[in-house]
Amino acid sequence: MMRTIEVLIVILIITGAFIAASTFAILPWPRQVSPMNLRRLSYTTLELLDSNHDLSRAAFETENYSIWSGIQVALSASLPANVVYNLTVFEIGISEGGTDLYSEMISISNSESLGATSDAFSYLTSSSNVTFNAVPEKIGELTGGGTLYILNCSDANGWWITGYTDQTLAEDLYSLLSPYYVNTVMIQNTAELAQILNGSSIQNEIVENAVIINTLGEAVPIPSGYYATEGSDNSYAKYCYILGQKTSQFNWTWASIVGYPLYYVSNTDLFSDQHNGWGIYGMQNVGAGGLNAFLQGLNSESYSYDGTWITGSPSNDPQLATVELTSEAIFYSNYYGIYPYTTQTATRALPVSILNRYNLEVTTYVFDQVGSYLPGSVYRHQSGSGIFLALGLTRTPDIRLTGLSLLSESKPRLYRADYSAYDTSRLVVLQIGLVGGV
Amino acid sequence: MNSTIDHMVALTVFLAATLLFIGLFNSTIQTAVTYQRNKVTAHMASDLLDNVLLNPGVPINWGQNDIMPTGFGLQDPEFTQYKISPFSLMRLYSTTQTPVFYPKTGTEYSNITIGSNNFLLLSNNSALDYATVSQLLGVSRTYGFQLSFNPIVTVSITEDQSEDPLRVSIDVQGTGFPLVNAQVNYCFISVQPNGGESGHPAFINKYGTTTTDQKGLANLEFNEITDDKTSYALVVHANLNGLTGVGFHERVSSPEQYVIPFIDNLNEGRVLLAHSYDIHYFGPPVAEVKYNATFVLLAEDYTFRQIPIENSANHLTYGDGWPYNVINIPTTNPGILIITYQSIGQEVGVIMMPWGLSSLAFPLTFGGDPQSQEWVATDLRQILVGGIAYQAKIAVWNLEGYRVIS
Repeated sequence: MMRTIEVLIVILIITGAFIAASTFAILPWPRQVSPMNLRRLSYTTLELLDSNHDLSRAAFETENYSIWSGIQVALSASLPANVVYNLTVFEIGISEGGTDLYSEMISISNSESLGATSDAFSYLTSSSNVTFNAVPEKIGELTGGGTLYILNCSDANGWWITGYTDQTLAEDLYSLLSPYYVNTVMIQNTAELAQILNGSSIQNEIVENAVIINTLGEAVPIPSGYYATEGSDNSYAKYCYILGQKTSQFNWTWASIVGYPLYYVSNTDLFSDQHNGWGIYGMQNVGAGGLNAFLQGLNSESYSYDGTWITGSPSNDPQLATVELTSEAIFYSNYYGIYPYTTQTATRALPVSILNRYNLEVTTYVFDQVGSYLPGSVYRHQSGSGIFLALGLTRTPDIRLTGLSLLSESKPRLYRADYSAYDTSRLVVLQIGLVGGV
Repeated sequence: MNSTIDHMVALTVFLAATLLFIGLFNSTIQTAVTYQRNKVTAHMASDLLDNVLLNPGVPINWGQNDIMPTGFGLQDPEFTQYKISPFSLMRLYSTTQTPVFYPKTGTEYSNITIGSNNFLLLSNNSALDYATVSQLLGVSRTYGFQLSFNPIVTVSITEDQSEDPLRVSIDVQGTGFPLVNAQVNYCFISVQPNGGESGHPAFINKYGTTTTDQKGLANLEFNEITDDKTSYALVVHANLNGLTGVGFHERVSSPEQYVIPFIDNLNEGRVLLAHSYDIHYFGPPVAEVKYNATFVLLAEDYTFRQIPIENSANHLTYGDGWPYNVINIPTTNPGILIITYQSIGQEVGVIMMPWGLSSLAFPLTFGGDPQSQEWVATDLRQILVGGIAYQAKIAVWNLEGYRVIS
């Protein structure tokens, strides 16, 4: 009898365990087992409504009854009949004197409650009246310098800038690069060029550490007077030597935008009855000695005329003399939003041998090295003073390459505009729920 | 003796009670495990739908080629998010309608036909079937699915008065609400028998805009239709705040002799034009039909643009020795091929074919049949197909069985 009683007690215990387990182990109802992904439905509905930017426009016109009537109709029409919704627009940011980060602007709904199951998705819209821009870091702002000189000499002519004038190139360069420099000065004539060669400022800018862009292509402007006199040796190759010296002395960055650098000198008064051999008057043919002399000056060595032609081409066939932007240049192309064509033709590429000969080092490769030639690079003298940008490309010049080369060298940062400014962004939250059975 | 009986009774009762409780607990556990597996199926449905809608497949332009993709996805490669390629959808084998066999090519064609004069017939050589897509998605042995794409906006066109003038009413409805104050753009094409060169039919296009009222209704009147035998086609686009729908309506006086377009080559946009008697023999013998084709696409401002087609006017005869004709769609953008035709008895008509599923807001159902499955999980997304608002719905079921203990 005792055993039977014991078994009954055991049965009672197991029954209690089963009841307890059944009470606590509540099985979910079917809608929880197989739920519709309301979050995704909400998201895709918001995307649908904003496919023509109608929702973004409405988010900033919360008092326009007509627009919001349309939004409500579209929302009701697009969702299944068993779905209820609540759409709310929030202003993001703190207004002057305000305290709330999110301020409710408008809310529309087709039901007082959202049923037993609901989910929401938030969607950020931006005002069409706001332009998001970037503020560049100024080159030389912290280190001293930061002056950009653009040679725009009205009394000098250019060569290998076919299709342009140095004035149009100068204007384009000004638009492209002036935001990145503390001061941008247009050198309007050769007299002003002489002034900065003498180390004197034109507009109270800092002459040292400046960047000088020669927009005359293969020609370089030469001032009358001292520099024309002192630099007249060897068809003015000596003048190019002086330019190299000044580049080293003032730690300038001298930029040659196309072709054989310093191949001609130009001054329409000085050479009024001479032409460069191709019918352009006001220009004197220096020849290959100009570049060699410049590099000698940059290397702070004594002047010795060397008329050796040193530039070359990746191929004897100009059609095959193509060069490609380096991956680094393409990166900065995207960073600064400057998009020159990535393939160019180079027939005046500088040889690698100049690095040892003139104690130079390449700080920026703009184009990939081809064989023993550097189609486009920025060279810094090993003493740390004097930089030379040479783009040995075939005419006509693309000044975007010059801009990209200089920016790739200096790498000024871009500070993106603040998206959280008040009244520029609004948050649209669509909460949807299911009504009906389980 | 009493002790032995006591033990025997106790043991019997204990064993009976144990078996009973094992059954009860097992039932509870079995239900819980089944629920868990159903939940996994539901997650699979959501994931599979996103996987299909948020990637364009490999190669990304497989929708506009006849090649077999190595990765399946329906996203429009030119866009992001839930914007779906109308051409990729066009390549899916429709499971709701019987395929059409065309004897002159010896090929079966996947069939999406709406009404009696709107065809989308794609060669089976180009169409992707359910088994192939299942394998590409990697679920062929584990899950079955059905994808359905239905336009959110329904545009119904009803003829209220047949002539002098022709009056039609347009009803624009969403899934749960009429589209009030929706902008309605329409393209009206009336057929002119013998109006073209060599006695081919000509057509006159008319474009216009109106808006719907508080009930989602709009009315149009065409004074140029003075005869109820004049054949015409009306295509309507309705748009409200990103919700865009398409509706169409034709009136034909030649319901048996007409032209049937078969999409033969997606790469080249080649469409074969066949005489209807080559497919459905209505008997007795009839003569040729003359036709004139044009292509209309919807511009970004929701207005229609007509694009001319080379060799657009010709004639067709059925039977042996009379081959089909060929035209090429001149664009890779979605649009509508409109073919006006006339029989020898001056009966006329219009047939339309969407180039890209969405151009005429054709619905599509693709995949297996969920009807006989034990548990089917569904999920839903709002999508844009060629600018037309659709709902993409997936139904997924487990192919591995549900019973935990057999």
